[in-house]
Amino acid sequence: MSDNAIEVRSLCKTFKIDYNKSVSHTAEELNDKRYSSDKIEVLNDISFEVKKGEMFGIVGRNGIGKTTLLRIIAGIYKPDSGTVKVDGSLIPLLSLGTGFDIELDAKDNIIMYGKILGFSDKEIQQKILEILRFAELEKFANVKLKKFSTGMVMRLAFTTAMQIDPDIILVDEILGVGDVAFQKKSYDAFMSFRQKKKTIVYVSQDVNSINTLCNRAMLLNKGRIESIGSPSKVVNDYLGIFEKPKESIK
Amino acid sequence: MAHETISQIWKRRSLIRTFAINDLVIRYKSSGLGVVWSLLEPLLMFGVLYVIFTNVFKSTVENYPLYLLLGIIMWSFFSRATTMGIGSIIGRAGIIKQIYFPREILPISSCVTALVMMGIEFGVFFAFVVVFQFLPPISILILPGLLFLLFCLSVGISLFLSVLNVKFRDIQSVWGVVMYAGFFISPVIYSLDTFPEELRRFLLINPVAQILEMAHNSVLYGTLPSLSSVAYTVGVTFGILILGYFTFRHYQFKMVEEL
Repeated sequence: MSDNAIEVRSLCKTFKIDYNKSVSHTAEELNDKRYSSDKIEVLNDISFEVKKGEMFGIVGRNGIGKTTLLRIIAGIYKPDSGTVKVDGSLIPLLSLGTGFDIELDAKDNIIMYGKILGFSDKEIQQKILEILRFAELEKFANVKLKKFSTGMVMRLAFTTAMQIDPDIILVDEILGVGDVAFQKKSYDAFMSFRQKKKTIVYVSQDVNSINTLCNRAMLLNKGRIESIGSPSKVVNDYLGIFEKPKESIK
Repeated sequence: MAHETISQIWKRRSLIRTFAINDLVIRYKSSGLGVVWSLLEPLLMFGVLYVIFTNVFKSTVENYPLYLLLGIIMWSFFSRATTMGIGSIIGRAGIIKQIYFPREILPISSCVTALVMMGIEFGVFFAFVVVFQFLPPISILILPGLLFLLFCLSVGISLFLSVLNVKFRDIQSVWGVVMYAGFFISPVIYSLDTFPEELRRFLLINPVAQILEMAHNSVLYGTLPSLSSVAYTVGVTFGILILGYFTFRHYQFKMVEEL
């Protein structure tokens, strides 16, 4: 393992789709080999590694399997074949706030989240105030989450994850949460997380942030890694997909 | 493999507690009377059934008020634990798709929630015991064991059906009917003693009926259950628990994709 935080080897994942219930496909999709009669090959023989302390960007079109890949790395989905090795504690930030219980107040939600991530009561109690302060929600500690605005819930979720301070975070298109002041704050939190030599896997459609933030990046297309390496090259390849005429995509 | 996950669940028992406490907090904080409902619910149900079964059906069961209340409390536990347990996976779909933790914790914690509620309700039962100046026989000491069996049975059923319920949501609807019917074919409001032997035996295939029968006999009449009833009930309970556990293990990842 040594200096790899995440090692993915020959990963394959197929989803079953009931076409009678789902939308019909375009001609392009039907010609695409990934779509067989009732299955979609989302990931086909994916291998890569993320080094410790690296910020690793993943780009690709919608529905190409980026979130699925993160879910497999996080252990939420099981791959059909292949292996994933993770060295260190890991927190996935997939869609902020959906794991919270809106019937509970902010404090109880922090406790629940901390517990799920494997922290003891004592450790969580020490962090609650800090989390509420950072999220600027001290006044709302005992307010049920259903009374929160969307931005407030996201702030709470983001802060909880960051303050719990894992070795690796998986981020799925969630930056730019909250208002401008909080965006700045979360950006700084992100940066200090990076400075602490922690590992970030960063999925985004925002090619600018991939370019400026990431050390390396990867482009997923049609179930495979189309390019991997320096962010500027990968972003160029990604933008190239949209420019190519349709016939040559195959 | 199996003992590995069991020890993993045991290590995360404080998470079970957290989920259970949250369930209770949500339940009690969102109602005006809060925890008082836990005492009122069995009492009100008891009131209705008692009036009907002493006046209309003329129950001849000895110590009928205690008999009825004990049955109601234990049946309510079983019904609540399994109903909440079956819905526990769908109810927390958000968090399951967000982060990994042993998912068995969810149905188990639902059963723990129901267990705590039953604990509170037993307060009502023992108040009745005092009011009726009833001196429980020594055989009441096996009651905790019987409640443990009922708990294991509830966990087994919850594990088994919660994971299947994700794909076949009909299960939770059907289970409501099963619980309704089960209430009437188990010895809650009546005793099986007056039944013809064949019918009695048939109804006792149901392990919950067995547990209720043993509870009534040991708590109220000083009779210990026969070895064969104990063996049968323990066998069925742990059979269902093991079946539930392995079914859950087998489908848990497929289930997440269906959520």
